[in-house]
Amino acid sequence: MMLTSVDRKQAFRYLGLHDSPDAVMLATADRCERLLLAAVKPRFAYQVCPLTFTPEGILCEGSTLLLQGQDIRTHLNGCTQGILLCATLSAGADTAIRRAGAEDVLAGMMTDAMASALTEQLCDCAEKEILAQFPELYATWRFSPGYGDLPLAVQGDFLHAVNAGRRVGVSLSDGGMLVPTKSVTAIIGLSEHPIPKGKRGCAVCKAAASCPYRAKGEHCK
Amino acid sequence: MTEFLMLDGGMGTILQAKGLPLGGIPELWNLEQPDIITSVHRAYVEAGADVVYTNTFGCNRLKMARTGHSVQELIAAAVTNARRSGTKQVALDIGPIGQMLEPTGTLRFEEAYEIFKEQILAGQDADLYVLETMSDLAEVRAGVLAAREHGGGKPIFVTMSFEETGRTFTGCCIPSMALTLEGLGVDAIGVNCSLGPEELVPIVEELCRWTTLPVIVKPNAGLPDPVTNTYHFTPERFAACMKPFVEMGAVIFGGCCGTTPEHIRAAAQFIRSSHPVERHPVIPSAVCTPNRTVIIDQPRIIGERINPTGKKRFQQALREHDTDYILGQALQQIDAGADILDVNVGLPDIDETEMMQTAVKAIQSVTDTPLQLDTTNAAALEAGLRLYCGKPIVNSVNGEESSLNTVLPLVKKYGAAVVGLTLDKDGIPKTAEGRFAIAERILKRALSLGIRHEDVYIDCLTLTASAEQEGVMETLHAVERVKKELGLRTVLGVSNISFGLPSRELVTRNFLTMALYAGLDLPIINPNTESMTAAVRTYKLLAAIDKNAEDFIAFYGTEQKPAPVQNTTSLTLGDAVMAGLKNESGSLTKALLAETEPMQIVNGELIPALDRVGAEYEKGAIFLPQLISAASAAQAAFEVIKVYLSEHSEGTVDRGTIVLATVKGDIHDIGKNIVKILLENYGYQVIDLGKDVPCETVVQATVQSHAPLVGLSALMTTTLPSMEETVKLLRKQCPWCKTVVGGAVLTPEYAQRIGADFYAKDAKETVDIAKRVFGA
Repeated sequence: MMLTSVDRKQAFRYLGLHDSPDAVMLATADRCERLLLAAVKPRFAYQVCPLTFTPEGILCEGSTLLLQGQDIRTHLNGCTQGILLCATLSAGADTAIRRAGAEDVLAGMMTDAMASALTEQLCDCAEKEILAQFPELYATWRFSPGYGDLPLAVQGDFLHAVNAGRRVGVSLSDGGMLVPTKSVTAIIGLSEHPIPKGKRGCAVCKAAASCPYRAKGEHCK
Repeated sequence: MTEFLMLDGGMGTILQAKGLPLGGIPELWNLEQPDIITSVHRAYVEAGADVVYTNTFGCNRLKMARTGHSVQELIAAAVTNARRSGTKQVALDIGPIGQMLEPTGTLRFEEAYEIFKEQILAGQDADLYVLETMSDLAEVRAGVLAAREHGGGKPIFVTMSFEETGRTFTGCCIPSMALTLEGLGVDAIGVNCSLGPEELVPIVEELCRWTTLPVIVKPNAGLPDPVTNTYHFTPERFAACMKPFVEMGAVIFGGCCGTTPEHIRAAAQFIRSSHPVERHPVIPSAVCTPNRTVIIDQPRIIGERINPTGKKRFQQALREHDTDYILGQALQQIDAGADILDVNVGLPDIDETEMMQTAVKAIQSVTDTPLQLDTTNAAALEAGLRLYCGKPIVNSVNGEESSLNTVLPLVKKYGAAVVGLTLDKDGIPKTAEGRFAIAERILKRALSLGIRHEDVYIDCLTLTASAEQEGVMETLHAVERVKKELGLRTVLGVSNISFGLPSRELVTRNFLTMALYAGLDLPIINPNTESMTAAVRTYKLLAAIDKNAEDFIAFYGTEQKPAPVQNTTSLTLGDAVMAGLKNESGSLTKALLAETEPMQIVNGELIPALDRVGAEYEKGAIFLPQLISAASAAQAAFEVIKVYLSEHSEGTVDRGTIVLATVKGDIHDIGKNIVKILLENYGYQVIDLGKDVPCETVVQATVQSHAPLVGLSALMTTTLPSMEETVKLLRKQCPWCKTVVGGAVLTPEYAQRIGADFYAKDAKETVDIAKRVFGA
């Protein structure tokens, strides 16, 4: 997957830059973007699986992945299949962030924010490409472990279900973090019927109470 | 005469067909369904496999933790099951650990080594060891070293998984894999999994050019269907795909995902009807890191700046364990054009072994430039060689027996290249003949230990022209002879030539050009001096190495006038800091130092500017990036002051010591780094322990430094318990110190609950807290 530019607007927002960036900031952004794009090898893998709603949670058939919690149940309501997606910018992103940070703290922050924006872009592209194969179905938005009350602890089973280690080189650290760090897991529900516009973002976000974006009347995405 | 060796095919997919539940653990069947496991092995033996892989791909202590069975138990059963199939040979199969090593992941090299060691020890009844589906060269190195040191001398095979780009997921390229693993003494290398046989053709072709070892090809049955993840090649098609590999000279074959005994039968039939093709690859002199190989087929610059000799600021950095300073030196040289970096971190009053490990790890975490480990301390050398990922250069061995006996075995064991200095117990011979004779002796000894001819580089030693003018041409004659008559690569520390003379740069540059013409391959220079790198670039142009002057034109063709310098006459240091202008802040500080006391600059200019920036930030008039930008500019000013102070032996700016760390399990350190730079700006000595820091390490550093304040950062909810544990341990063992905690998921309530003294919502607040703790 090729990504040719970083969504700077998003990256600047992650950085908390609200007014127009000055010359120092723009020069840093130019350099960081160039180095980041050269360093990353964006890739994704996915697995489509039938969903079974059980009292314990939603079982992704063909794997040991059980999605627990009320929020994912609401999210996947009416869906018969799920697309398990794992996307990563590759370890190159981590190296680029470390290297930029070793030169200059600002460059490190900038590269990190740009990599986060780029990860979202990658997920958008991946989603588009995957959904093109299911033109007759309706899809939910991407829901990730850690959103709402879907526990982060499912990451291990999630990666296993996608065979993410072998297919895209994403693993879980002892501390339960995705490695490389600029990686995302998410499930997209597929339904034969139109999906009502569900609660999204802030409504299910655990950080809503202390969110700096919300404090300013904005959203993080 | 080389012979073919046939390996087996897939295991997991077949077990699923035989009823292994999806998501089930295949290794458990070694105990629960031993007959089925043996029957799969037997099917491969009957299909023509000479070697079967035990059903132990994920059989390590991390992955088996939840099975309730030990690695020893499972592996012993697996080897027995394999043996019962009647196979000629049993290979102990070892897959990736499943966690990534540092620096991208959190697993330490030594931990990876212990995990593999346990597997190797449990599988000693096997006939050989196989590391397969590997992506990370550091992980492979840990496995190979464990197998070499605990495997009883049995053969070691390694196969890695490549993408179509010719790189693994972690970016490891084929030449680096080959150079590193052949250097470490494995017995066969190759590829498995990831791609189908057709896509592997160019990859195996490249591998065959880079190794003299037998090459293994164990592909999947084609590429997986993107939706179902199943494989579709028929046995016939799979077998037909082996043809190009046989023609390239690969000799060990098998199958990976989606292959069955029928695939192996067809492939075995095809291969046994062919003849092995002898290969005679010529592997050049080259060094590497996982992602980058530097071939010494033309002059390559070795940067000399990571060396404390005669540099007070560098010595200070080593004593303070300031790895950021070392990294700064590394990156600056790479930007200036260094191809390889010399790393010398020896000082009489520091633990050089520990420092060498720290430096190698730190530099390799941010660059892919190969390193030259420069030390006379054998323990430090081995520690560096053990950790270094890739093929480094060892600097150096000399003609003395004790040196040859200590250094060369390490070079051989870790597969490094080595610089041989043409001196011995009688000193440096005056004549070219004398030095040539020592070079010959070093080469002979290296070859007798099995070190490749291409891996011996000779340093004919530059003498100072002011003291030994006659010696200059002797050095160059020796270079010429070593290059021509011994066919070896040559190294010279160039800068020494001009010592004690005026216009040193002029002398050094001209000597460099003369030496290049005499056959110098590896000039050790200061690449930050533009005229030095320019001399090398120009030489490459004139010697027709830089074809069509492409590099030269790319570098100098678009030479731009330097950007108009800001009118610094009206700019104060405070303005420059507030505007985030790093260069200007540095140069204005230099100018100020001519007439102002350093502490006056800190207290009168820098701190007030930072206070103003901080106040603006708190008002919301500027945002975090601008705050950091100003902090970076202030840091540039501080660096100038630090150099000044160390050169004038006036101590350091020190308002008190603070220990900082990102807690165990967390690998996000940007937040912590922001806090660090701000604290340093205000003159605090920061002991930065990095990320993923065990609580014991925090306590140890706090005890040693008796720091009154410890700052802890955590970004993820999953690592908050580590923070709590660290705070508790500090309370118990360092009752004098206060703790300040921060990080994206932290709240003041949580900070209070875990017993931290302060919660800081951002870096600026941490500075305010530090002021309160230390007294502003």
